[in-house]
Amino acid sequence: MRSTPTPRAVAPWRQLVPLTLAEWRHHPGRHAVALLAVALGVALASSVQMINASALSEFSQAVRAANGEPDAVLAAVGREGFDDALYARLATDEAVALVSPVLEVDAAARTGAGQRPVTMRLAGVDALKIAAIAPALLPRPAQAGAPRGPGDGASPGADQGAAAGALAPLFDPGALYLNPAAMQALQVSAGQRIELASPGGWTAFTVAGRVSAGGTPLAVLDIAAAQSRFGRAGRLTRLDLRLAAGVDREAWQRSVESAAPLPAGVRWAAADDAVQRVSNLSRAYRVNLGVLALVALLVGGFLVYSVVSLSVAQRLPQFALLGVLGLSARDRRTLVLAESAVIGAAGSALGLAAGAALAALALRLLGGDLGGGYFPGVAGVGPALAWPAPALAACFGLGTAAAVVGAWWPARQAERLAPALVLKGLGGDTEAPARWWPGLALLLLGGLMALLPPVAGLPLAAYGAVAMLLAGGVALVPALVQLLLAARSTPADAVLLLALRRARHARATASATVSGVVASLALSVAITVMVASFRDAVAQWLDSVLPADLYLRGSAGAVLPPSLAASAAALPGVARVTASRQLPLLVSPRQPAVALLARPLGDEPARSLPLLGPALPAQPGELSVWVSEPAAAIHGWQPGQRIALPLPGPDGTVAVPARVRGIWRDYARQFGAVVIDAADYRRLSGDTGVNELAVWLAPGAAAAPVARALHDLAGADLPVDTVSTPELRQLSLAIFDRSFAVTLYLQAVAIGVGLVGVAASLSAQVLARRKEFGLLAHLGLTRRQVMRLVASETAAWLLAGVLVGLLLGLAMAVVLVKVVNPQSFHWSMPMALPAARLAALAAAVLAAGIATALFSARRAAGRPAVMAVKEDW
Amino acid sequence: MTPAAPPALQIDGLAKAYGGTPVFAAVSLALAAGEFVAMLGESGVGKSTLLNCIAGLDEADSGRILVAGHAVRELAEPGRARLRRESLGFVFQAFHLLPQLSVAENVELPLRLLGRPDAARVQALLAAVGLAGLGTRSPAQLSGGQLQRVALARALVHRPALILADEPTGNLDPGTAQRMLDLLVDQVRSEGAACLLVTHSAAAAARADRVLRLMPDGVVAAG
Repeated sequence: MRSTPTPRAVAPWRQLVPLTLAEWRHHPGRHAVALLAVALGVALASSVQMINASALSEFSQAVRAANGEPDAVLAAVGREGFDDALYARLATDEAVALVSPVLEVDAAARTGAGQRPVTMRLAGVDALKIAAIAPALLPRPAQAGAPRGPGDGASPGADQGAAAGALAPLFDPGALYLNPAAMQALQVSAGQRIELASPGGWTAFTVAGRVSAGGTPLAVLDIAAAQSRFGRAGRLTRLDLRLAAGVDREAWQRSVESAAPLPAGVRWAAADDAVQRVSNLSRAYRVNLGVLALVALLVGGFLVYSVVSLSVAQRLPQFALLGVLGLSARDRRTLVLAESAVIGAAGSALGLAAGAALAALALRLLGGDLGGGYFPGVAGVGPALAWPAPALAACFGLGTAAAVVGAWWPARQAERLAPALVLKGLGGDTEAPARWWPGLALLLLGGLMALLPPVAGLPLAAYGAVAMLLAGGVALVPALVQLLLAARSTPADAVLLLALRRARHARATASATVSGVVASLALSVAITVMVASFRDAVAQWLDSVLPADLYLRGSAGAVLPPSLAASAAALPGVARVTASRQLPLLVSPRQPAVALLARPLGDEPARSLPLLGPALPAQPGELSVWVSEPAAAIHGWQPGQRIALPLPGPDGTVAVPARVRGIWRDYARQFGAVVIDAADYRRLSGDTGVNELAVWLAPGAAAAPVARALHDLAGADLPVDTVSTPELRQLSLAIFDRSFAVTLYLQAVAIGVGLVGVAASLSAQVLARRKEFGLLAHLGLTRRQVMRLVASETAAWLLAGVLVGLLLGLAMAVVLVKVVNPQSFHWSMPMALPAARLAALAAAVLAAGIATALFSARRAAGRPAVMAVKEDW
Repeated sequence: MTPAAPPALQIDGLAKAYGGTPVFAAVSLALAAGEFVAMLGESGVGKSTLLNCIAGLDEADSGRILVAGHAVRELAEPGRARLRRESLGFVFQAFHLLPQLSVAENVELPLRLLGRPDAARVQALLAAVGLAGLGTRSPAQLSGGQLQRVALARALVHRPALILADEPTGNLDPGTAQRMLDLLVDQVRSEGAACLLVTHSAAAAARADRVLRLMPDGVVAAG
């Protein structure tokens, strides 16, 4: 006999919708706050994604336009380039259809003597070749319009004489073609003259037209002119190759190397190396900004928890009645979660729209890098808004998930309620002992996660640790309230007695009430400690790296003549001068160049560098180098390790063996720096150039007259800047403060959201407890006493919340300072504890919370409370 | 010669309307000190509103209310609160005990609000209502009948001039209700308080010194 299956009771969802709608209609403000909190987090997270995608897309397009789309690229390892004999060798290779030679040089440009120079990239190109590979670099003379190069499909039968006439301006050694950024930076147009800093001094050129390449300021000129005028005769920095049809690139590259090894200082490169480098180096910055936005979402999740907890608490009789009428426990849980999911989805949709508006505004006002400086040439241009669909979908999903996760605990309460008991009014607050272990377990898990290494170069485990610490801290609030109010002593004051008893009795509600405050205060404390630590570290570092009184630098990276140091030392008021040289070194093609700093280190190099540990002793016959913390982290260098430094030499770049004697702290060059003694550098490279002079003043000498004398000494044709150490220190710290100003706003927003959570929670409690307040009115409590009662209860919870928030914030600060920063940016810093600021922050949150409680408590003493008791009369 | 004690409650010509709808009009009554009066009336005739007006928790439109000689309508909010603390005791149908306080703390609350806690008085009253030894318990650990006895002790503990009791047996089974009513009458009389008992029960009303009826037209008449 077959048994008839019992159909599972189907939740009458359609019938439940009106109940949900009624709840939303009844408390529109409370649910709107939850929705807006989710929207805020999603808006911040999605705008960061959109801004970064826009900037990266713009940068990528600019790089593609300038580099073209060659089948293969041979690039110089160093700035001095490689011998152009390689060009001749490849041009005759049958597998190669076209070779486009390029010489790239960085130079300062100005519109005339005394005008402020602008740094720009010069690209010397063969106009007949470049069009086929990188048409964006094809010079377009102002008068004749765009010339027809080989890549344009010029007709073989065209009048060759006319063509020669049209192409003549492209080979004019005095003609320069600027891209829009260069035109804008110099404020020039076609026909005007500009000057470029060359080894022979300022050299005049005529702006003959333009090139369409985007990105940073760029000037294109004939390759022969670039080689001769910039002292690079016979040198190239890049060969872009177009292979013949059917040639396999990798096989051909192997055959080229097997026929004859590539000359020193040349490597195979990919056209998108620069994009990849920028993407890699901005990734940590991007992720950190994104995580900061996600913390806002986390606070939003806690707010959802507050709102839904109290909504469920108020609706327990309704859920109990539905339970009696047949709605299963699981369906009750699903109903609460579904309501929150709808709020989360609506908030996320609103957040995406707000995020797009925020991103568009930020791109217009701040450019694409939000001050990070990772996208050269993009920041000021205002790239078009990009829509990274997967990232935006993830933001939407996270927003909805935050709301659902926030509602999970109250949903479980709705699921586990005992309908009969609740309907008899016995299912409310319980005085079961608060449990410590879930919170402690989460804290322990957070601590363990903080010890994990980065994932794919990102501090993902550390962020997980921060989330675990937050969740654990909030979970501990009831237990802490119990601990704080453990004393059974009975205060004489009746209102205080009621407040303390209620605060302890309903401690489970405390989590819902103050979770937003705990989260936002912890976030604020963590950021405050991190920023203070960073600022202190930067201030100490500035003292260490700026030992002189005055610094003189070549403007826009201009190289100073070696004789300038000796002349400066002879000036009145100058006690001592040291000269240093700085240039980029490309250690790895997939990483940004490190800065090579060649400066006099003296007999005790450790004293002139902010070393992280003791210096290793020098080894006879070995070149000593000192690597910065970021360089050590990016390239895996350790003290005592022997590394190969690609130093420029008279015959091109040569890998010079060197030994790392120590790691020093550096906050200026986040892609790393290597310090070498100036004498060693000059001996190995033959380069006697200087970028910077450090000037120590004689006792009693003033900086300003010496600075003027230094300018006079350099002469009008040599662009230099002088700056005193106090100015430089003040400027550096001002830039630091400006960069981190945004964190203050973020803290204010987070605390505001947390206080809204307190207000929402208390408002709901006041409604839920109106009979209790009505009773107290009957017993003779004045309106003021009832408000004091609510404020005192809330103060007890807030005190616990503020304590937890402070401790959690300090723990999170340790994770940020000791784990997230080193893993993201490869620099460390000592912890600083701004005790007065933290105390003021905690006191402000406590005061604002109590003020919020008083505001919310006004209704507790009103007529509705009295009427609630009347319901029984 | 000792001056005569003022009546526990005196109401003259009290009228109240919500919007344009009159609730009651020309209500006059008086309860002497120690007098036990029952008030009957149909649902919705304004018994609750009358009790709220007596307690100073609702505002009458006209008329005069004196509680222990104090003109309720002339007092501001803090004065009315003080009057409730000193001169009134309440017994509700739904007990209304505070779950965060122990039984003894619930009873002692009115004394604490007056700034004169008195543990001996609390214990004595708990013993009088049959709850000796249960003072440290939580209200959640008591039965409905026990809860109402705690509420009665709380209403009497500060020796108020007037007890306002609304259906104090409404949530209790008949047997417990009878015992509770006995206790209420005995304790009110032994404490010397006056009591205005609002009830639908003729049996409960029969225990009173006098029975009044609040009619739909708002006039109080002898039952």
